[in-house]
Amino acid sequence: MQSLRGEAIRLEDVWVAYAGSGRPAIRNINLRVNLGNLVLITGPNGAGKTTLIETCLGLLKPIRGNAYLLGVNTRRREIIKVRRLCSYVPQDFMKPPYETYTARRVIELGLASKESVFGIIPNDIRDYILRIARTLRIGDILDKPIGRLSGGQQQKVYIARALVRRPKVIFLDEPFSSLDRDSRHIVAKTIHEYVHENEACAVVVSHDVEPIKDLADLVVYMDNGTIVSMEEIGDV
Amino acid sequence: MFEVALLASILSGGLCGILGYYVQRFNIVTLSFSVAHAALAGAALALVLGLDVTYLALVFASSFALVIGIISTRVSTLERELISMGFFSLFNAIALLMIYMSTTYVLSTASISVVLWGSLLAITKPKVITLLGLVVIFSFYIFMFRSQIDAILFDRKLAEAEGIDVDFHILITLLFVGTAIAFTLRLTGGFLVFTLLYNPVASTMQLIRSAQRQQLMSPILGAISAMSGLVFSYILDWPVGATIALISSIILISSYIARIVINFRLVRIASREDSS
Repeated sequence: MQSLRGEAIRLEDVWVAYAGSGRPAIRNINLRVNLGNLVLITGPNGAGKTTLIETCLGLLKPIRGNAYLLGVNTRRREIIKVRRLCSYVPQDFMKPPYETYTARRVIELGLASKESVFGIIPNDIRDYILRIARTLRIGDILDKPIGRLSGGQQQKVYIARALVRRPKVIFLDEPFSSLDRDSRHIVAKTIHEYVHENEACAVVVSHDVEPIKDLADLVVYMDNGTIVSMEEIGDV
Repeated sequence: MFEVALLASILSGGLCGILGYYVQRFNIVTLSFSVAHAALAGAALALVLGLDVTYLALVFASSFALVIGIISTRVSTLERELISMGFFSLFNAIALLMIYMSTTYVLSTASISVVLWGSLLAITKPKVITLLGLVVIFSFYIFMFRSQIDAILFDRKLAEAEGIDVDFHILITLLFVGTAIAFTLRLTGGFLVFTLLYNPVASTMQLIRSAQRQQLMSPILGAISAMSGLVFSYILDWPVGATIALISSIILISSYIARIVINFRLVRIASREDSS
């Protein structure tokens, strides 16, 4: 982990293919994102946006080129430790009605890789969980089973879980997909504030660019597995 | 002697029940299936060499669990399944070959029953104490890593993305599976030991959907299957392993029927409410 203060993500001529697939899901990707930036990645279905996020996290390994997260090559085993400094909000988050973990427990599970053994959560972290939950307007549903919550509420629980980890890099895959108009703006504003207050980095993949486009420092447009255009806004 | 066997059946049934739950949720059923047959091969080899069946089964199962656990982190899921099934065939071949090569004397002793169908006589006090130790160590592991294990059970991919070492927990689970099987095969025999890993969790999943309740129910059903199988085998003078497998299979079929009945009643109540 050499450049924790500057570089968040670096992709150098990255190609990724799924086993058995005839063609790469993403190809020839070159991207550098610094800490303190909010990046919006957009594009049509099948453009390779989710593959790009999973490659950045090291969940998918490039067949060509190199991906670095906080200065560490994602091929190295050390990437497991680096992921503890990151958060991820997946696209497929819906849990079935019989899932009995409470919203609070789901958020606390986000700390499982960070906390010491035995899973003891200090009081200040509990207060922080409550603060984030209130900001996202889910403070009153924390003790309800996650499976009984609406899609929008579940999505906010995952976003709260990501923020509670106090990450250096936060990846959000379609974080507005189940949210109403007001909630979209609250989430976008919360992410923006978090990035700038903590000198962190957020990578937001979204079809719906409206809530976040004015807050992003860099907008990346993807199509057919490649980056088609990049628009830098302000000092990136 | 019977009390010792009864305690062993509760311990091994409960342990296999909870391990089976993790095996299913971690998606390593085929891996643990081949680990179970590694134990069988080790036990059969012990017959020929005149060594302790449990300890050679333990060496085989644990070594193989370690090797396949490490291999599985470096290959795709499909490759992992294929490799596991390849080893499953190999271990079965070794086991049968070893039984074939055993002397007539060995084939006439109680040792062979340990490999084939389990035996009440094979369960000794030291083995039960070791099994109890294993249950304590496993409980401590679960207690220590409760949150990480819960995070994997809740969403494996998210847990991995958040920096939980999923491969480490899978490897540890496989090692526990190997050790538990090595001790349990004295009770059930090598060919039926997998029943206690698979049937309790399969029955539980028919009846309960909540992950937390499944974790409680699976070891309870495992312990009930093993204990009642032991009692019936004693009363009827049947082979203990086969009787345990029979009881746990009856529980599995009953759970499946119960689920169909519950679903049918739910549909009927909903239809009545709609029509009224």
